[in-house]
Amino acid sequence: MASISLKNIKKTYEDGVTVIDNLNLEIKDREFVILVGPSGCGKSTTLRMIAGLEEITEGELYIGSRLVNNVSPKDRDIAMVFQSYALYPHMSVYKNMAFGLKNRKTPKDEIDKKVRAAAKMLDIEKYLHRKPRALSGGQRQRVALGRAMVRDPAVFLLDEPLSNLDAKLRTEMRSRISMLHKELKTTFVYVTHDQTEAMTMGDRIVVMKDGVIMQNDTPQMLYNHPQNMFVAGFIGSPQMNFIECTVRRDKNGFHAVFEEYDYLLPERMNGPLSLYTDKEVIIGIRPEDMHSESFYFKPDGANTVNLHVDIAEMTGSDYFLFGTAGKKRIVAKISAAEEIKNDTVCKLAVDIDKIHIFDKISENLICD
Amino acid sequence: MNTKRKTANSFYFALLLLLSVIFLFPIYLVLMNSFKSKFNIVGTPFEFPNGETFVGIENYINGINSSGIIDAFLRTAFITVGSVIAIIIFTSMTAWYIVRVKSKFNKAIYYLFLFSMIVPFQMVMFTMTAVCIKLNLNNIFGIIPVYLGFGSGLSVFMFSGFVKGMPREIEEAAMIDGCSPLKTFFLVVFPILKPTAITVAILNAMWIWNDFLLPYLLLGTTDKTLSVAIQIAMQGAYGSIDWGGFMAMLVLAIIPIIVFYLICQKYIIKGVIDGAVKG
Repeated sequence: MASISLKNIKKTYEDGVTVIDNLNLEIKDREFVILVGPSGCGKSTTLRMIAGLEEITEGELYIGSRLVNNVSPKDRDIAMVFQSYALYPHMSVYKNMAFGLKNRKTPKDEIDKKVRAAAKMLDIEKYLHRKPRALSGGQRQRVALGRAMVRDPAVFLLDEPLSNLDAKLRTEMRSRISMLHKELKTTFVYVTHDQTEAMTMGDRIVVMKDGVIMQNDTPQMLYNHPQNMFVAGFIGSPQMNFIECTVRRDKNGFHAVFEEYDYLLPERMNGPLSLYTDKEVIIGIRPEDMHSESFYFKPDGANTVNLHVDIAEMTGSDYFLFGTAGKKRIVAKISAAEEIKNDTVCKLAVDIDKIHIFDKISENLICD
Repeated sequence: MNTKRKTANSFYFALLLLLSVIFLFPIYLVLMNSFKSKFNIVGTPFEFPNGETFVGIENYINGINSSGIIDAFLRTAFITVGSVIAIIIFTSMTAWYIVRVKSKFNKAIYYLFLFSMIVPFQMVMFTMTAVCIKLNLNNIFGIIPVYLGFGSGLSVFMFSGFVKGMPREIEEAAMIDGCSPLKTFFLVVFPILKPTAITVAILNAMWIWNDFLLPYLLLGTTDKTLSVAIQIAMQGAYGSIDWGGFMAMLVLAIIPIIVFYLICQKYIIKGVIDGAVKG
């Protein structure tokens, strides 16, 4: 059991490239934290620094209360699951799982007990005497999890463990790992680029970009209150619509104006927007916050948009409408109660209460 | 289409059969003549031994008794086994280090190893012999490091090709599992390198076992190895060569390396492919 604390962490490679600069992150004991971001954002590097596989150029890393900058991986009381599984190909499943314990001079009967318990939990008892090459991808991944589990580490590090699995197995393993976290009651740090994994598994999500933390929050907060355009666009599929518009003020309050549309913004935004009168901002609307007019009953029916539908994708319960409003490309997700054809114009109501407004230059949230 | 392929197949079959015969014929000749009396070998070398010319294992007994071949055999075995073990252990570790620890110095060392493959032995043999004698390497123990030097170019090249294709995560997993670098190498990396190690072992064993020039220069005729002993036997005393004993010695000399090759051959192919594809 341990907390992890990264203080002003910097990572510069030998060729002078800085991938992480001044990273600060606190991970509580028993928390399931997800590091998510596009490839090259430094999430794996951060994880590898926690593991001790990557040197820390500057800053301090604590596991529990111990400063571990110069502690070797084996003495950090961590276990890691790799994307490529990294099983020892010449050893049986049993030996793969027992290897770490054997190196730590654990008594034989205790090793046996632990390996069998973990194998039972992961449903791989039948394969204990097989070599990794005789296992399927999902089974290999479970062995990799088992190898990490038997050591009872204080911290579990998982580096994109599911990205080599097919979609169905991934869903299954996702819930298995979540269950594992509940049962083991250990700190989990999980790296992924898959936002579904991030949203469904973590207690807390850290969204990274170019070595910088863009937002560090619970899944709900990330989704409903993204702090900047990057997070807003990264979380959610299809991604949030961003529309450039101008802020106007009249006696009724603030309006967002673009092309022929003019939306009266909720009163709660008046404060933050007062600095932006007659300036350009970007409004963000999630696809599901647009509705077909007949299903949307609001007293002020003014906030509508005429969407020229290029492609209407039926997913069963919903339609994904890809189209344009004026010159802006817009995606909407609406209920599939009525049929919508390609190349038609569809009048949609915008739920203005759920709108997000971002600064055009800094791309940070102004209000939502 | 089908008949075309059939014709092509029979053509290749005939060609390969012919090549096999050409390659195997000298071995057949040696084997057959090793059972004939020494006078008949010179007179009718291509004739199969019959009741008159067949002498059983007499040639083998003569050969073994006359030329100290048993000593030479043991010496060669010692040098070969020692050198091959040294080459495998040292070059695999070197290759692992060179590939995993990236630095300009290591890159330079790597190219130095490659370069050593290009330099022909004949170019350096006299200066090298002089240096080796100064360093007291002109004995059966001293020749092992010399073989290590000559064998390391190709071996480092082959091992690095394989290590480059090995996922680094396996070693990192071993580090997290509590291995020191040395333990990581011997418990995790080396077992994975086994197919390449066997390939390297076969190539080096064949070369060292059959090598003539280096032992002749360094050990001379006092500590004869097999090939040197055979060469001396062939020189004979002005024409009075015991061809029967000579043939028997040749047969004895090639048996161990053939057996070694046959035992390891299922790995050599795998090793060559692994190295090539992953490297």
